[in-house]
Amino acid sequence: MENEPKMRSVEEQKGRLPVASGGPVATIKEVCAQWLEQGILSGIMMPAYSIKGVAAPVLFTDPQMVRQSGVPFLPAMGVNTASVVDEMRFSPAPGVKVGVFLRPCEARAVVELVKLQQVVLDGLVLIGVDCPGTYRTADFSELLDGAVVDFVNRFLQDQARYLNDERFRTACAMCEYPTPLVCDLHIGFLGMNPGEALWVESRSEKGAELYKTMNVEPVPVPESRQLFLKDFRAQRQSRAEERIKELDAKALGPENLVKYFAACLNCHNCMKVCPVCYCRECFFESEALERELDEVVRITRHKGGMRLPQGTLLFHITRMNHMMTSCVQCGICEDSCPVKIGLSVLFKKVSRNAQKEFDYLSGRSLDEPLPLVTFREDEFRTIGE
Amino acid sequence: MNQFEPKIVGFLCNWCTYAGADLAGTSRIQYPPNMRPIRVMCSAAVDSVYIVRALMEGADGVFIGGCHPGDCHYVSGNYKTRRRMVLFNSIMRSLGLDQERVLLRWISAAEGKRFAETITEFTEKLRQKGPSPFKTLWEV
Repeated sequence: MENEPKMRSVEEQKGRLPVASGGPVATIKEVCAQWLEQGILSGIMMPAYSIKGVAAPVLFTDPQMVRQSGVPFLPAMGVNTASVVDEMRFSPAPGVKVGVFLRPCEARAVVELVKLQQVVLDGLVLIGVDCPGTYRTADFSELLDGAVVDFVNRFLQDQARYLNDERFRTACAMCEYPTPLVCDLHIGFLGMNPGEALWVESRSEKGAELYKTMNVEPVPVPESRQLFLKDFRAQRQSRAEERIKELDAKALGPENLVKYFAACLNCHNCMKVCPVCYCRECFFESEALERELDEVVRITRHKGGMRLPQGTLLFHITRMNHMMTSCVQCGICEDSCPVKIGLSVLFKKVSRNAQKEFDYLSGRSLDEPLPLVTFREDEFRTIGE
Repeated sequence: MNQFEPKIVGFLCNWCTYAGADLAGTSRIQYPPNMRPIRVMCSAAVDSVYIVRALMEGADGVFIGGCHPGDCHYVSGNYKTRRRMVLFNSIMRSLGLDQERVLLRWISAAEGKRFAETITEFTEKLRQKGPSPFKTLWEV
């Protein structure tokens, strides 16, 4: 199946956005500041960086602060922005409209959360950006030399290095989705010369409202961009295959699986930071798994000994059963793991295989129902017979 | 040395398979006593956590019995069970675990014989496979 985004209630508009002399980052910051000044948006959530080392999504209402601290395209990722969108409560609030900058994996997670009935799109405008990869926030602070805006401008320009950047987060180095699948407005730079122009697409009515303020010159997708993306995806796919092969050599089967998760502390960080692990109360943090002492002793007699805290592998395998159909492979679980278990590649493999079974791709479309809430009578006939 | 006797944890839907098991009993059909039945209201009530937990704690097999597609007391529960089973099997394969230790089968209240045959076959298959590797893996 093609990765065709489906938010197209209006005809798609697209073209190149000339970049001002201050560079691509400043150009987009200025556009955003003006959306706030003109009251087109009531707030805008975008990555920001402060000299104190904070690299995080920030919700801005003050256009001056956007100009000072906003850093669109910041290649540092500490959380999946979909998680912070999920923290908002969505009551009808006419007139409030917040633009949210999202990397492709983050936009996919938002789509899954909408389908899981955790996020309501009414007050949100999804602004999807190109993303060739990100650094862990700690690594980014180390890499950063000089002003952050200069760093990011250079990062946008130097596109040859994306495929070999050793410092990218593990999940990013295997990611084959550098452009957002679903969003209202798309701002891109891959395969362009970001010193001269960025790529902008409006994919919905909400997107069109922002698009018309941006002085975009309508042109077809430049050939350089098409070629870049094609080559990029192919290389990333083969990188992912390599990594999965390495995984298969060491993680398959009961014994190896225990080894792979051997260091797990059962801290549940991977679950807490996961954008699509949406339950307000997790089964694994409930009283359901607590047992009376006599019961624990009785159960332990089966094997003669029980590793504690109990249920490490039970947690991981069950969690996979609960969220693999929505996993967007952002890899934020691995970054949050205190003992560095290689979750990115494992979940890449498991979720890809799982989603394939249902011809589903997480975050591809708002219309595709979640695999586990729908069914057809005439499918999987051999099961149960 | 004692012959290995597999332990099976069974989740039987109240409306069909449990009644099917009952029928097998009242009809005096013989089948191996290796399955420990747990009555559930619907096969769709069996979350993966129960299956995985049984396996991790050393069950040699897990059996899930539900109504035939189209016959679910709750209209569509078993269709959802079926999808979850597809997901479960896919994850087991991706992790290199033996998906054959988990069996889902549709057995109606009228199919006492099919119930007895299913449990006989499954027990025999597990006997041939031998003990589950998780039986002795205390590090899980």
